[in-house]
Amino acid sequence: MSTERPSSRWQVMPDGRTFYKRQQLYSIPGKLPNLSDYIVAGCRYGGPIALMRDHTKLVALGRTAPVTTKAQLQIYSPAGEGLLLFSWDQGKIIRFGWTADERLAILNEEGTYRLYDLQGDYQQYSLGSEAGEMGVIDARIHENGLVALTGSLTLLEVKGWEGTRPLTLANPALSQPPNSWAVIPPDLNISRHVEVLLSVDSTILSVDNLESVDQRLSHGPFTHIAPSPNGKSLALVTFAGTLLVVSSDFQRTLAEFKTGDVAAAQGSIRQVEWCGIDAILVTWDNLVVVVGPFGDTLEYYYSGPTFAVTEPDGVRVVGPDTCDLIQKVPSSSASIFRPGSTSASAILYDAWESFSQRSPKADENIRSIRPELAAAVDECIEAAGQEWEPYWQRRLLNAAKFGRGFLDLHNPTDFINMGQILKVLNAVRYYEIGIPLTHLQYIYTSPAHLITRLTARNMHLIALRISTYLSLKPHAVLKHWACAKIMRSRPSATGVGMEAELSGDDDVCKLIVEKFEQLGDVSYAEIAKRAWEVGRAGLATKLLDHEPRASDQVPLLLSMKEDRLALVKAVDSGDTDLVYLVLLHLHKRLSLGAFFRLIEDGGSQLAPASKLLQVYAREQNREMLRDFFYSEDRRVESAVLSLDEAASMADPVAKIAAVRAAQKFFHEDKDRGFDARLLALQQQLEKESDGKVVFFGLSVNETIRACTINGMSKRADKVRSDFKVPDKRFWYVTMQALISTSDFEGLDTFSKSKRSPIGYEPFVRHLVEAGHPKEAIPYVARCDLPKRADLYVECGEWRLAGKECKERGDKAKLDALRQRCPNSLIARELDQILASMK
Amino acid sequence: MTTSTTDETVPPQDDEPLLDVNLLKEIGQKALVDALNSVNGAKTLVLDASLAGPLSLVIEVSLLKHHGVDKMFWLEAGPLTSTTTNIVYLCRPIIKYVKIIADQIKAHAREGQKHTYTLLLVPRVSTLVPRILEEEGVLGDVRISAYNLQFIPVAEDVISLENENAFKEIWVDGDETVIYNSAQALLTLEKLYGLFPRIVGKGDQAARLATLLTRPSASDSSTPDTLQSESEKMDSLIILDRRVDMITPLLTQLTYEGLIDELIGIKNSHVELPVSLLTPPAPGAAAASTAPPATGPSLKKVEAKKKHHLTTATDPLFTELRDLNFSSVGKRLNKVAHRLDDDYKGRHQAKTVAQLRDFVGKLGGLQSEHQSLRLHTGLSELLVPLTRTDIFNKTLEIQQNLLASYEINSQITAIEELIAQGADMQTVLRLLCLASLTSGGVKPKALENLKREVLQAYGYNFLPLLLSLAAPPLGILLPNPLPSNSPPALAAAKYPFTALRKSLRLLIDDSPEALEEVENDISYVYSGYSPISVRLVQCVAQKGGVLSNPAEKEKSTGSTDGKGQPSSIKAQAHPIAGWRGFEDILATIPGQTVDIVQGGKGGGSAVTAAVTSLLRPMQKPTTTVVFFLGGCTYTEIAALRWVGRQNRGRKFLVATTGIIGGNDIFESISGISKSARSKDAAI
Repeated sequence: MSTERPSSRWQVMPDGRTFYKRQQLYSIPGKLPNLSDYIVAGCRYGGPIALMRDHTKLVALGRTAPVTTKAQLQIYSPAGEGLLLFSWDQGKIIRFGWTADERLAILNEEGTYRLYDLQGDYQQYSLGSEAGEMGVIDARIHENGLVALTGSLTLLEVKGWEGTRPLTLANPALSQPPNSWAVIPPDLNISRHVEVLLSVDSTILSVDNLESVDQRLSHGPFTHIAPSPNGKSLALVTFAGTLLVVSSDFQRTLAEFKTGDVAAAQGSIRQVEWCGIDAILVTWDNLVVVVGPFGDTLEYYYSGPTFAVTEPDGVRVVGPDTCDLIQKVPSSSASIFRPGSTSASAILYDAWESFSQRSPKADENIRSIRPELAAAVDECIEAAGQEWEPYWQRRLLNAAKFGRGFLDLHNPTDFINMGQILKVLNAVRYYEIGIPLTHLQYIYTSPAHLITRLTARNMHLIALRISTYLSLKPHAVLKHWACAKIMRSRPSATGVGMEAELSGDDDVCKLIVEKFEQLGDVSYAEIAKRAWEVGRAGLATKLLDHEPRASDQVPLLLSMKEDRLALVKAVDSGDTDLVYLVLLHLHKRLSLGAFFRLIEDGGSQLAPASKLLQVYAREQNREMLRDFFYSEDRRVESAVLSLDEAASMADPVAKIAAVRAAQKFFHEDKDRGFDARLLALQQQLEKESDGKVVFFGLSVNETIRACTINGMSKRADKVRSDFKVPDKRFWYVTMQALISTSDFEGLDTFSKSKRSPIGYEPFVRHLVEAGHPKEAIPYVARCDLPKRADLYVECGEWRLAGKECKERGDKAKLDALRQRCPNSLIARELDQILASMK
Repeated sequence: MTTSTTDETVPPQDDEPLLDVNLLKEIGQKALVDALNSVNGAKTLVLDASLAGPLSLVIEVSLLKHHGVDKMFWLEAGPLTSTTTNIVYLCRPIIKYVKIIADQIKAHAREGQKHTYTLLLVPRVSTLVPRILEEEGVLGDVRISAYNLQFIPVAEDVISLENENAFKEIWVDGDETVIYNSAQALLTLEKLYGLFPRIVGKGDQAARLATLLTRPSASDSSTPDTLQSESEKMDSLIILDRRVDMITPLLTQLTYEGLIDELIGIKNSHVELPVSLLTPPAPGAAAASTAPPATGPSLKKVEAKKKHHLTTATDPLFTELRDLNFSSVGKRLNKVAHRLDDDYKGRHQAKTVAQLRDFVGKLGGLQSEHQSLRLHTGLSELLVPLTRTDIFNKTLEIQQNLLASYEINSQITAIEELIAQGADMQTVLRLLCLASLTSGGVKPKALENLKREVLQAYGYNFLPLLLSLAAPPLGILLPNPLPSNSPPALAAAKYPFTALRKSLRLLIDDSPEALEEVENDISYVYSGYSPISVRLVQCVAQKGGVLSNPAEKEKSTGSTDGKGQPSSIKAQAHPIAGWRGFEDILATIPGQTVDIVQGGKGGGSAVTAAVTSLLRPMQKPTTTVVFFLGGCTYTEIAALRWVGRQNRGRKFLVATTGIIGGNDIFESISGISKSARSKDAAI
């Protein structure tokens, strides 16, 4: 444990203001092979590194493990512990890199990519047939996706790691592969879409899914392109070895630095990485140089080749002997430990030291910073988070606590949190766990992320303890633990055959359930699925019994071929989509007969499923629906279906046939009143009218109407008698038809054909409504006496109305009319009548 | 302002705030913006026409443009030409639409056009969609994601899923998707405000919804805290499924807003009106508040009619008018006109410069009020002749007679008469179903005859509609007695209307002393008949109101003014105690009865939670959510508002799958829309 002041290991930039520190994280002499022989990919946030032998490099036989022709990937923790080793049996690996959730993505030249977790399990996806044919020649993998460069020099983007279909980005129209290229991940762009930078000739093309823009640079071609951690600037290195820093919109050049000026540099540049957002780390074989914003440099020497991983708050350098973190000294640390610092926090720290040495200076110091004490306390807490050594963490927290004692009011939350976090961080930094997470990275990635990283390493105990300590829910850990348990606990070899497996199942199930019930309810479905996947159906069923939520059980039940149960559970869940999922799945797998039988046998329990199937089939698969109704002997539905189809048919013959079929179904079922005769009759009518009038598909009423309008009143009568149309309706229809064609003669004849069953009032009203009040007048006389006066008024015949009243001697009515009359002329006339009545 | 305008129907401006439903709007808006932003660059938006209305309530066209929407088209069969690379489809996961989309993509592929397709499904991705796209061979070209549009606030106390076909899907197709979606939407409400402490409900589908809602939810770390404890702001959820009260939507709505819906039609809070009504006569009059936003790009179509958004946000007068019985709308308009006139005359009194300035300050408000008065007067003028028609009055008469079970046979004859006169299919079927429901079925012979009449008069393509009406689970058009071979479900679904009429005091008779009673009871919305659904809500939330009018009681104790409005002190709303006191009545209505007490995680057993909910002091204002599964009418909303005004401390929030009228039900079942849907959507 180092008790030197932290500042003793700081380096100052030549400008004298900025400090950088190289914090040794782990000492790893001899644990890693020579990195220059390998292709390396590092995972951010203190994650592991993956190594693959670089076949373009010569290697002395026997120095490393036996040479195999197959590619082999090795994964090491930052502490140099081997985590995983597996060989690759697919096509040549083009590129590999890490995802945000610490899985290794490996892409081969056939466009296939796999995602390996730290246990060696993987998912495999493909970039599609196009990429497969053209081949993939290069790729860039970022945390949430990848961009591949195909053999035809087009770019394919994959978003996320769920195996989504790759999107083709705008075609940059390259004639040869770019000299170098890089990707700015979507979350760092203003547009929130990925941007690809290709160094072509002397310029750079920036490509997104819409367009390819030539940035018109003249310094190129470039050997390295590195976007900064916040995506706002780019580091470019030209072939001449000049390091350029430009803003990512290429509008401003921020700095320029000649790497050739570094005296100790030998050979070519290995890596260009960012250290924070304003400094760049350039590595050579034995040398690491930090280039500050104004071209100042700091040099660090290593005994062999290194590999650098950019972190949000610095850069991690893995050398042959050590794993270091190089970062700018955070302001809080600087303000406390910078030699000669007179900041309040520095004085507070000094006061605490004096205090612990029982020196009276403590009091003096505290007094002098009284107004800024609260800020100083906060700064001490913050600085504690920046220190790697528990010794210094403790000292700084003690200083903060000391200062807090002089404050009347101070919110202790920050202090408590920091204590907790540091405890967690120190635990995971331990070399056997090997996650060198800084405070900032921890805040950045969230505690839950840390827990998943631990479970991914099968470190369930510490994960569980940390979740409990941070009062997180233990579900994630338990779930992972149970899955791992199932994987590990192969049916014991001691028993024999089936029996052993069953007892093994019981034990594991009991173990898991006990644990779960103790620590809160966790979904069993996922675990059961896992058990099913590893071929332990018995265990899966047992676990599934404990699952309270129907919806979660369904997919597993389906894959276990528990069809009926799956369907029942899906219906129970009320989620129609889930029912569809099961139905469509079963429809594909079962024979049609078996499928229908399954639904039919379900009775009322599966009725909703049956209904949904009908809804689906009506739109998408009529044939199936017909079969379904037929097999269930549901004639009414069959008939309705047939009718429905008839409605959409244009061809009269087919239509009639369909309607006849429907009618047949109806007759088979019951005596339902229904007429296909109408269509046949209409066809005949159309023929008679030489096809000039459209009858087909009209209702009975409309047919009568059409007949009347077109002067086929005989036919109208026939329709009426054929279909037993009641008199009243026939009269209304005919009357309206005649009025609408203004056939007043016809109307007159019709009205006199016999005594109207609907009276004559409707005649008057409809004529008036249609705007023929004059023609309506004759009919008023045929109406009931008491109504005549009002009807006359409706025809606009006030005088006749007055007369009517007079004839009936209804003076009150006449008075009322007088009140309502519209103009003086009429008023006078009415007055006259009124007078004559007296 | 003269004081005369404040009487019983003006909602008292209680300062107890309701749940802020605009939060839901913001959620919907943000979700759409996020979904659009996930596609880079300019895009063509292809919209399912049935979504346009609901969307227009959530988002404005300008905002869409702001987020890269270049052009908008309807999702219709036929080729689609797009100038942008990105095409975004926005639709409900309905098979018909998906096929159209597949066809368009295939057409583009044939013509060699290259587009990027994104399919946004409302409210969620359905398994069907990828399956169909796969069958059509275009799955690989489309990125599918969801736009979770749930409750949309249509008024300050009404939220709706705006699904027009919910009723048909549940009770005709047997498709329970709506129930599931409703459960999800209610769950969102719970996530915002906490668990409903108590869920009561009536009806089989309501029970289904309640079980979905109370099912143990996935309890992982993502569960928000609000789902762990019961809500502070809401005291219960009352779920009513439409089947429990089929009678109400069959009747003609007689409130102002209801009548507009019946006669002109309100769709997604928008009503189509002649342009002359909406544009002010002289330019410069403050009309901006009532004129709807310009119609969307490329959707414009020259029409003499224009959509108007009926909302209280910009139209203060509408707040006063919407829930009035139409018979008193004229009176109210007159009053407002007089008041306005007085206010304008105020300028003559303005003597000093300061007074004049005051007047000018008020002028803007006066003018906008003037404009809205103009609109509503015009609207009433439109309505009046429609209410004078023979058929309309005949319909009302038949309805009232059927409700009173007066001479049923002659009502049947009257319905036949209406068919002969050529009344609308919807009108006739509403009356027919009403006859069947109120009298426990129509005589078989008469029914067969009527059915034949309907088919002959309106066409044989209505046969499936008649069959659906007679089939379980709907069964609202039945013969009496039932044929022996009919399924038992139908017999069970028989509606005990005559018993309910008495026990729930549905009908206020015509005697003159009862007329005032009509004014003081929810029955004013149907001029003397109280909707069963709202009576059921009263059974839970205002038990006194079921047995007698609360206002009436107040009057007898003499603490009110003549109008029956408890002027100063309203009774404190009683706590929710489920259906207590009305269990027997509930049992007679077909369908399950639900009463669930939901406790928080720490709340312990249901029993203790029930006790605490009983003991909870009712001083705190609380909101009762009433959810209508299958849609509700404007009259029911009006009646619930009335109930809400009678008590202190409880507000109602009406949630529904959609706002419907009787015509909508029959139109959606038959699949035939009376008026071809207007192409000129409000968006």
